Amino acid sequence: MKEYNILTSRFGRSDGHKLAVYEQEGGYQALRRVLGQGDPAAVRETVKEAGLRGRGGAGFPTGVKWGFVPQGAEEVYFFVNADESEPGTFKDRLLLDYDPHQTLEGTIISCFAVQAKLAFIYIRGEFGWLIDRVQAAVDEAYAAGYLGKNILGSGFDLEVIVHKGAGAYICGEETGLINSVEGRKGQPSIKPPFPAVAGFLGKPTIVNNVESVASVPWIINNGPQAYRAVGTEKSPGTKLFSVSGPVKKPGVYEIPLGLPFREFFNDWLGGMVEGEQLKAVIVGGSSVPVLPAAEVMNVNLDYESLQQAGTMLGSGGMIVIPESCDMVELIQVLMHFYYDESCGQCTPCREGTGWLHRIVKKLRRGEGTAEDLDLLAYVCNGMAGLTICPLADAAVMPMRSFLGKFRPEFEALIRETAVAGPQTRWPRGEQE
Amino acid sequence: MAKLTIDDQEFEFPDGTSLFDACREARGEALPHFCYHPDLPVAGVCRLCQVEVEGMPKLTIACNTGVRDGMVVRTRSEKVTQAVQQILEMHLINHPVDCPICDQAGECGLQDQYMDFGLYESKVEMAAKVNKRKVKVIGPQVILDQERCVLCSRCVRFCQEVTGTGELGIFNRGDRAELDVAPGVELDNNYSLNTVDICPVGALTSRDFRFAKRVWMLKSARGVCPGCATGCNVRIDHEGGRVFRLKPLRNPQVNGSWMCDRGRMTYKAVHDERRLLQPVRDGKDLTWAEASGALAGMLQGRSPALVVIGPHASLEEMYLARDLADPAAVVSGPHDLDRGSGDDILLDGDRSPNRKGLASLGITELGAADLAARVGAAGGPVLVLGGDPGRDKTVAGALAQCANLIAIATHDGPTVQAAALALPGAAWAEKAGTFVNRQGRWQGFAQAVARPGAVRDVWRILAEIQALAHDGSGPQSLRAVRQDLVTSVLSEGELDMDRMPEQGYVPGGGEQ
Repeated sequence: MKEYNILTSRFGRSDGHKLAVYEQEGGYQALRRVLGQGDPAAVRETVKEAGLRGRGGAGFPTGVKWGFVPQGAEEVYFFVNADESEPGTFKDRLLLDYDPHQTLEGTIISCFAVQAKLAFIYIRGEFGWLIDRVQAAVDEAYAAGYLGKNILGSGFDLEVIVHKGAGAYICGEETGLINSVEGRKGQPSIKPPFPAVAGFLGKPTIVNNVESVASVPWIINNGPQAYRAVGTEKSPGTKLFSVSGPVKKPGVYEIPLGLPFREFFNDWLGGMVEGEQLKAVIVGGSSVPVLPAAEVMNVNLDYESLQQAGTMLGSGGMIVIPESCDMVELIQVLMHFYYDESCGQCTPCREGTGWLHRIVKKLRRGEGTAEDLDLLAYVCNGMAGLTICPLADAAVMPMRSFLGKFRPEFEALIRETAVAGPQTRWPRGEQE
Repeated sequence: MAKLTIDDQEFEFPDGTSLFDACREARGEALPHFCYHPDLPVAGVCRLCQVEVEGMPKLTIACNTGVRDGMVVRTRSEKVTQAVQQILEMHLINHPVDCPICDQAGECGLQDQYMDFGLYESKVEMAAKVNKRKVKVIGPQVILDQERCVLCSRCVRFCQEVTGTGELGIFNRGDRAELDVAPGVELDNNYSLNTVDICPVGALTSRDFRFAKRVWMLKSARGVCPGCATGCNVRIDHEGGRVFRLKPLRNPQVNGSWMCDRGRMTYKAVHDERRLLQPVRDGKDLTWAEASGALAGMLQGRSPALVVIGPHASLEEMYLARDLADPAAVVSGPHDLDRGSGDDILLDGDRSPNRKGLASLGITELGAADLAARVGAAGGPVLVLGGDPGRDKTVAGALAQCANLIAIATHDGPTVQAAALALPGAAWAEKAGTFVNRQGRWQGFAQAVARPGAVRDVWRILAEIQALAHDGSGPQSLRAVRQDLVTSVLSEGELDMDRMPEQGYVPGGGEQ
């Protein structure tokens, strides 16, 4: 079990967030090099060559996304997406908490690459302390001349604004995020146009996840080949996985992409805690299909292997589910989440998430019938792929997979409650 | 140009055409939709206009897709139909289905599209519906029912993009999302009733029209709003001799899809209690036979000494009245009556519908003092029509001194009060005619309702005056008047006024 610290070298330290420490350990050297060379296209090319894929969930190649900004665009904006709200995901907050300068340096380099003069770091509103932490780092960077006018004498200007979100999952979707900063209701816009062409204030805009941006300085310092030396050919580099559930050592791990789950689970996480058996794993955040224990034990943790296994790498929010967990209860929690967070503009999502949630609640109330299971599948068909943004799909994927992989549990509940009468247990935080 | 295949047939459309519009043309009917509107920015939220485009993995919405050369589009495939059915079903999940008491019933997008795509079998428990507010007064003209709303956001976009007033918003999220006015704000602008027009369901209803009539009982006629010089194209909805409402008709050259609230209320004047319904002489009602006798006595075979034509007359009436007397004896005025402040949306400061008509017939508009002087110096019968110049004090003084004042009028008023003989003429919804709007555009309107009481079409009254004055016969039909008019003002055969182009006609070309 080899340790990787492309992203996590200052994790767990009490002083890693300070500029002096970051500089002492080689911080802002990548920025100096990039500004010294003065070639934005070369930066884009380097990141493209490194094969860095967006770490927010979709996995789109970061360098390619940067390339979508129209050549010669005068006004370009850059957003660091720190609206980390996918259930099970808690990696970006550690990146910003332990090592804000790493992300900040990555931001400045990324902005140089796309020639953005104004960047926003959009932080989930619930992360109150993080906002102070990041703002302090930004202040330090301004004082040290890494931000502002004529950075390090290069002639490149950049302002960074730390923006606090107001608490909506959907604002993590890039157009929803942009709308919310513009002062509109936080809900996605129809595409095309894509933000890289017409985003914030109608101008070309790049939105990148914290982890993607944080990877950039290392890639500049060590070169694309060194980055590709880690991970697999199509999924190069390392990825943060935030692991929750009754494993011996839950937490945030930086692993090389392609690591077999079995190895990760046994060697890194230490297996399940005493008395618990592994039942299933949601690998990449609550929106991706669940894999039963038998299936997950054979997958490798990279984009392609997981896709082949019928799920997705997503955000790396890994939820480990023990045998003792009631899958119908769990899906109720998830369906409540998507029902609560649907922005409500697209009909299939607005009505579908509510409908799914009501049917699952009905099952849990002990009033379910076998037809309700067909109805769940039917409602999913009326949502998937029919909306502006992927929130409807994000609700459908767990619903379909829970139903597909754990149907006997649903059927057992229907059978038992038909005899024993309604249930009364409700997940915490949710009322009828 | 882009060549594409829609439902197995080839079509060609200019580049930049929306696939939605292309499909409408190709199919002869629009794709199912709630949120798309030709005069509003695309929202893409109702998700109903799904089509299958070859080469694309998922269905796509036509309203946010442009036509592309070589595109192969299917709008009626099983995949599309199934998606539309399910999305429509989703629209109904939280809809109250209170059609029996809903004003929109009969012209409702949900009802109409359900007829085509309905599943007719409810899978939803009634008790599970999300309840929201009903009968919420949100402004002087509009009532909101949040439960009926399908959240298409047309009204929100209208208030943002057209009026720029932004009173409406969609609050909350998920299926708790609801349309409302911002706190402390009323939907109070002069265009607020357009939100009722574009509401595809019964969420926004007109306080004026609410519960007045079931819409399927209404008949419609094509009209032109008489409220100002803009000449918004309207549909006059009427039944049993009453006009119930005006709705804008789309004319991209004039009013887009809109009209103002003020203009919408002009129909009320048609049924006003001040309507002149009988010929009147010295405060006494006459029959038309008596009125004709009186008219003959006053004219004594001569033309009126002065003809005063107001900007509310139709072009046909203006033309007939102009030729009743010597050109020097035909005037209009006073110039500053029927003026107000306009806006840069539709409402014009000129609150009369046909002032440009006067100009196109070479009829001079005088100021109040000049007009009063002309009336004072007339020395014979004075004929007034197409307005109420007596509303000006100076002119009223002169009219009061006039012994042989003949007024053709729709309503009682100072001019009628001063007149020796008042003749009841048809109001605009009771006759066919033509107005020339501020652009110089000729726009025809049709008769919607029957004339009440002894009211006569004005061209007939003028024809009778012409016959009496010139000792012969006047024109026998409105068509004959129109043919003369075209020949005299335009060139012969240039325009068939009985078959006016839908967007109107601008003589001398220019922008049609």
